[in-house]
Amino acid sequence: MGTEGVPGLPPIAREVLVSSTVYSLDTVKKAAYRFIDRASADISVNEGDIVCKFSFVRGTSESAADAAVQDFRAELLDQDLRQKVALETAPIRNAILALAFSASKPPERE
Amino acid sequence: MLTLSGRGTIGLPSGKDHGRAVVRVVVTDDEVRAPTDARLVRSDPIPPGYAYYMAHPRDAALLDGAPSGAARLVLPDKFDYLAHGDVLCIWTDSGNVRTLHRRASRHNSFLVTERCNSYCLMCSQPPRNVDDDWIIDEILEALPLLDPATPEIGFTGGEPTLLGERFIGVLRECKRLLPSASVHVLSNGRKFADPKLARAWAEVDHPDLMVGIPIYSDISDRHDYVVQADGAFDETIRGILNLKRARQRVEIRVVIHKQTYTGLPRLAEFLARNLLFVDHVALMGLEIMGFTRANLDLLWIDPLEYQRELKQAVRTLAGYNMNVSIYNHQLCLLDRDLWPYAVQSISDWKNEYIPECAQCSVRERCGGFFSSAQYRRSTNIKAFTTDIPASAFVR
Amino acid sequence: MSKFQQIGFYRDPKKAGYQLLPFNFTRLAGQEYVLTNAVGESLVLPRDKLETFINRGLSKIHSEYDDLKSKHFLMDDDSSVALDLLALKTRTKLQFLKNFTSLHIFVVSLRCEHSCHYCQVSRQSDDRLAFDMSEESARRAVDLVFRSPSPAIKIEFQGGEPLLNFERIRQIVAWAKERNLAEQRNLQFVIATNLALITDEHLEFCKEHSILLSTSLDGPEDLHNKNRPRPGRDSHQRVVAGIRRARAALGHDRVSALMTTTQASLPRVREIIDEYVRQEIDGIFLRPLSPYGFAVKTKAISAYNRDAWFNFYKEGLAQIIEINRKGKRFVEFYSTVILTKMLTPFTPGYVDLVSPAGIGIGALVYNYDGDVYASDEGRMLAEMGDKKFRLGNLLTDSYEDIIYSETLLDALEESFAASAPMCSECAFEPFCGADPVYHYATQKDFVGKKPLSDFCNRHMAMCRHLIALMREDPEVKDIFLSWVQ
Repeated sequence: MGTEGVPGLPPIAREVLVSSTVYSLDTVKKAAYRFIDRASADISVNEGDIVCKFSFVRGTSESAADAAVQDFRAELLDQDLRQKVALETAPIRNAILALAFSASKPPERE
Repeated sequence: MLTLSGRGTIGLPSGKDHGRAVVRVVVTDDEVRAPTDARLVRSDPIPPGYAYYMAHPRDAALLDGAPSGAARLVLPDKFDYLAHGDVLCIWTDSGNVRTLHRRASRHNSFLVTERCNSYCLMCSQPPRNVDDDWIIDEILEALPLLDPATPEIGFTGGEPTLLGERFIGVLRECKRLLPSASVHVLSNGRKFADPKLARAWAEVDHPDLMVGIPIYSDISDRHDYVVQADGAFDETIRGILNLKRARQRVEIRVVIHKQTYTGLPRLAEFLARNLLFVDHVALMGLEIMGFTRANLDLLWIDPLEYQRELKQAVRTLAGYNMNVSIYNHQLCLLDRDLWPYAVQSISDWKNEYIPECAQCSVRERCGGFFSSAQYRRSTNIKAFTTDIPASAFVR
Repeated sequence: MSKFQQIGFYRDPKKAGYQLLPFNFTRLAGQEYVLTNAVGESLVLPRDKLETFINRGLSKIHSEYDDLKSKHFLMDDDSSVALDLLALKTRTKLQFLKNFTSLHIFVVSLRCEHSCHYCQVSRQSDDRLAFDMSEESARRAVDLVFRSPSPAIKIEFQGGEPLLNFERIRQIVAWAKERNLAEQRNLQFVIATNLALITDEHLEFCKEHSILLSTSLDGPEDLHNKNRPRPGRDSHQRVVAGIRRARAALGHDRVSALMTTTQASLPRVREIIDEYVRQEIDGIFLRPLSPYGFAVKTKAISAYNRDAWFNFYKEGLAQIIEINRKGKRFVEFYSTVILTKMLTPFTPGYVDLVSPAGIGIGALVYNYDGDVYASDEGRMLAEMGDKKFRLGNLLTDSYEDIIYSETLLDALEESFAASAPMCSECAFEPFCGADPVYHYATQKDFVGKKPLSDFCNRHMAMCRHLIALMREDPEVKDIFLSWVQ
């Protein structure tokens, strides 16, 4: 997916700073992953911040880039919640699978 | 409503008080006279050779002609319905009589025990904590007296599974003595949470056995409230799963009243999603008997007021190809779309109609009322005055 | 009279405390989110409620609490049977894995008198030696079929035009039936044919062996003929006549039809459905544009196609729903695959939308030249020059070589949706599937980056659309329920 702009014009880019005390690196990466059809993301850490540099695909307008950043911030919140759910439910997911594949016969209609 | 028990007048030959006697009513004489046959006499002459002779009060004088070695019983009032092949229990010390089984009825039910481990708000047979182990003995004496061609037998309570292995023994006897009879047991299903009981039940290998188990809500605490027992929901569901693992037939019963109607659509979804493999779902009207009367304010709702919820539930269950029936509802209180699911289900011994019904064009298809409806019923009962085509009852 | 407890005794609204059961969530639209679990239950919540729920701030006074409990998104102290029920439902959903491989495709000939624009494979040729399946290949393939443990086996004859190698079909049916005397599987045969060359002899044979016929009908005459040229330009006429003859000989329900969607189809969905209704066919599969051949190589037209197809699908589905509302049963089969997962505990047998992927597990393809492929898509990819999904050859490889081939196992493992990025946390995952062949063809890896995937985009859009339709109108939900039974 090329991010080269029209010759002569720089590609549309945005830099988003995310606090590393609030969000984990994994959360940020997962959120950024959802945007790879629109922009490539360069993620690095600088002191207390996770820095996301988005380079948008050719043809992206400024307003579209702004909207994408908004979406990204909303996605961060969702990813954060997802991480919470995943952590909390991991043990019980295993319990359910163990029960599902235990030796007993499944119920059936006569 | 039929009178099934009462006090008669017994005359015994001396020294012959043997407590309880289970007998078969004989009206027409066969060659063989079993010691458990009780001859109902309505006219002279009295055929000899029976151990028991019975007569209705108006015919009491006939018993004077009975052989001297036999017991004589003047039946209580209102036992005119007795017919050949019915089974009675006679208490020879008191003359108390109880009808256990009526050959011509399709709604025979043996009460197995009055004990129960639940305490449902609307229980029509309120539990009593009594030692009634003798009832199973009585049933085991009655089963051999039933007509071998008996099509259906029911067992209810209280909670039959409290009798454990003894009740399983009754099922085995049913299979042995009445192999062509369909057996239907009402149970709260909780004891089947122990897989051993479910397996023992399955080992009977009965050819036509179904257990009817109530679920009143998809939410555990709401169900537990209706049955007044903490933890009942989990036990019941686990019981159903165990029965199904053992390949037994299970029916889900839901009594619709003020505490259960709002959750009915979501309960239907729950059943379709989680218990799709059950054999039947029965949605039932309230019987104003027993505890229902004490809790009427909590329970009573005019069926017309829950038609929307009932239709939604039936649409869901039928949409998932589950077998569903509506019991104990009068047709005038049921949405027309639901008529194809309405079954005439009220036991004939409890069944009545009110004067409004006399002229109703669908009276023959309608289940009528429980006799107990005299205590409370809808004010919207209304006869149909036009002809209704048979197609109204077709799905 | 003994005392009855109030409801408060059993259900204390103030008593907080529940644990989360496993689930995923995805934004539907605006602030509305859909929650789903692995067994297909679903619920819609506004985001603030979702967050409260996750933060364990909900209590029994909230109306959503009981919905979440009933559908097994939360569990509280009062009841633990949710675990038993979830375990049971999980098992039911995965039951299809036990019964692998149920579909066996025999490409008995590549020869065909049609030259359909979208066909990747056929050859207009009389060279039987080059393009027909040999007797030896066929024999070995039948042996492989019965190595599958599946109790139900469907043998489907494809091509080219399979009727051009009718003798081989005869043989395969005979061998399979003979073998099945001992095997006692539920054995079914289907011939996918253009019906242009069908004879009474063919029909008699089909009747004798209860063979189903599946044909191609792309729409009204001009559209169909434009897509499917043949000498005489009469493909439509022939297929309509063929359907009539086949029904007369075999029974109405023994003949079904599939459409192929092309650019020319996209603006004409109403006419296509009307044509199906006119031909008394009781359902249609609104197929996506084929990603193979020309389309794969040109990403530029992808976005246009994506939107145009989705409009095609929405409009077609709306028309089909209206047909159903008026009392006539007409099924849309693509939606039905997704709806089966949404509404029932079962996993439908559609090979291309299931996880683990249907390659090998759902289907095996025995090609005319003896090569064995993991799916029909895999075969089409090979025709384009990439034999990635070739598992082996009937003449040189054993069943074990084929079914345990590294390619197959790698593709199955890597594409498994529950562990793929984005898929593993997507609320639509239980309704979707893995398609390693498509992702390999378009992105060169079995998983693909889902934001770049038409497969992902299409299925998310379809799931959103179906959920919205059912929420807006309970009658639509009833119609959908009638399709999945």
